[in-house]
Amino acid sequence: MTDPQLVARAQEGDLPAFEELVKKYQREIYGLAYRLVLDAEEAKDLTQQAFMQAFVHIKGFRQQAQFRTWLFRIAINQCYNYLKNRKKFGDPVDCDEYVLVGEDSPEEELVAQEDHRRLYAALSRLPAKQRAVITLKLEQGLSYEEISKVLGGTAGAARVNYCQALKTLKKYMQNEDDYEVAVRPYPKMVTRVSRR
Amino acid sequence: MKWRCALIQRWLPAYPDGDLSPFWQGMVRSHLEKCPACREELAGLEAVVMNLKAAPRPEPDQAFWDNFNRELHLKLAQSVQSVPEPPPARFLKMPYYLLGAPALAGLLLWVAFGYLNPERPGLPPQPQLSQEQKALEKTPAAPRLAAPAPAPEKSEAVMMVSQNGHDMHGEDDLDLDGDLDSTLAGMTETEREAFLKKVRQHEKDGSCTRESLAVCWA
Repeated sequence: MTDPQLVARAQEGDLPAFEELVKKYQREIYGLAYRLVLDAEEAKDLTQQAFMQAFVHIKGFRQQAQFRTWLFRIAINQCYNYLKNRKKFGDPVDCDEYVLVGEDSPEEELVAQEDHRRLYAALSRLPAKQRAVITLKLEQGLSYEEISKVLGGTAGAARVNYCQALKTLKKYMQNEDDYEVAVRPYPKMVTRVSRR
Repeated sequence: MKWRCALIQRWLPAYPDGDLSPFWQGMVRSHLEKCPACREELAGLEAVVMNLKAAPRPEPDQAFWDNFNRELHLKLAQSVQSVPEPPPARFLKMPYYLLGAPALAGLLLWVAFGYLNPERPGLPPQPQLSQEQKALEKTPAAPRLAAPAPAPEKSEAVMMVSQNGHDMHGEDDLDLDGDLDSTLAGMTETEREAFLKKVRQHEKDGSCTRESLAVCWA
């Protein structure tokens, strides 16, 4: 059964049809939430909240966009609200939570683990919107048009945002070794002097 | 960095996927052929993308998803049960102060019907009825002048006597009022006897009253 048919049945209050949609998209939504909040338990709760919100408001879904895009938008809004409330922008990430697979030798595994640690530390320093753009583009495979529907704005703005996010991420990964030392040595005083 | 490199590097992340316009795609390609710094920048960006794509995605086991679906099913079932009643229609949301208008209309109707009802005590007599009474008094004025009708209580007394079956043989038995007496006074002896006989016969029959007979006789 296709998405529009399942959505139409869910709009009539058919709970099994909506649960079919949940099973279809729960991994993508969970992966997106996990990338945005960088916490497994919070990602699970946010995924459930996103599906709850989708079920409550599914009667207002007019099927002008894809259900998947609409679901992504709900999940990202849930993650934004969570990050805004918990003030989690830029929190450090414990890379030991991630399970690394496919490495042969212990040396290569150590190097890959170090790369991933730098990657997730740099990702955590990115603004939430740029993190969302990178996740939607590289992991979910959405086009700029679809990203603009999820995040708002235009397709050109989504492309600019993606380019900026990737360049910032590259810069953060290069400077990650010095990040621990360089982060805010004299935060406010230096800022005030430089502004004068 | 030259200004041209800065301009090109702005669009470098979108170059490998071919998301740029044909003009910018050609500009970046031609610039990369002769600029090693931008080629190095592009290689760094591709490495970041490769690192991101190779990063382990969270892959929970089946038990996690079973627990996830069970919890979500409970939440969805609760939300279905706690769906609020649909709001009432718009016209039922009339403010309370507007209910005074129908109440006032009902009060006015009650007062109007009460005023028009003639049987209602305490209300003034209707002027139309008094006019009708005057009109009725004016039309039989000529015969009443000749033989005015007696009072109603007198005729009732006569009717009671006749209904009891007593014969009225003399003039004294008849309870005549002043008008009838004046009528009888204008008659001769024979006419009076004939009139009284007729009266007694009609009263026995019950076909006519004394007043009407007096009127006819006059």
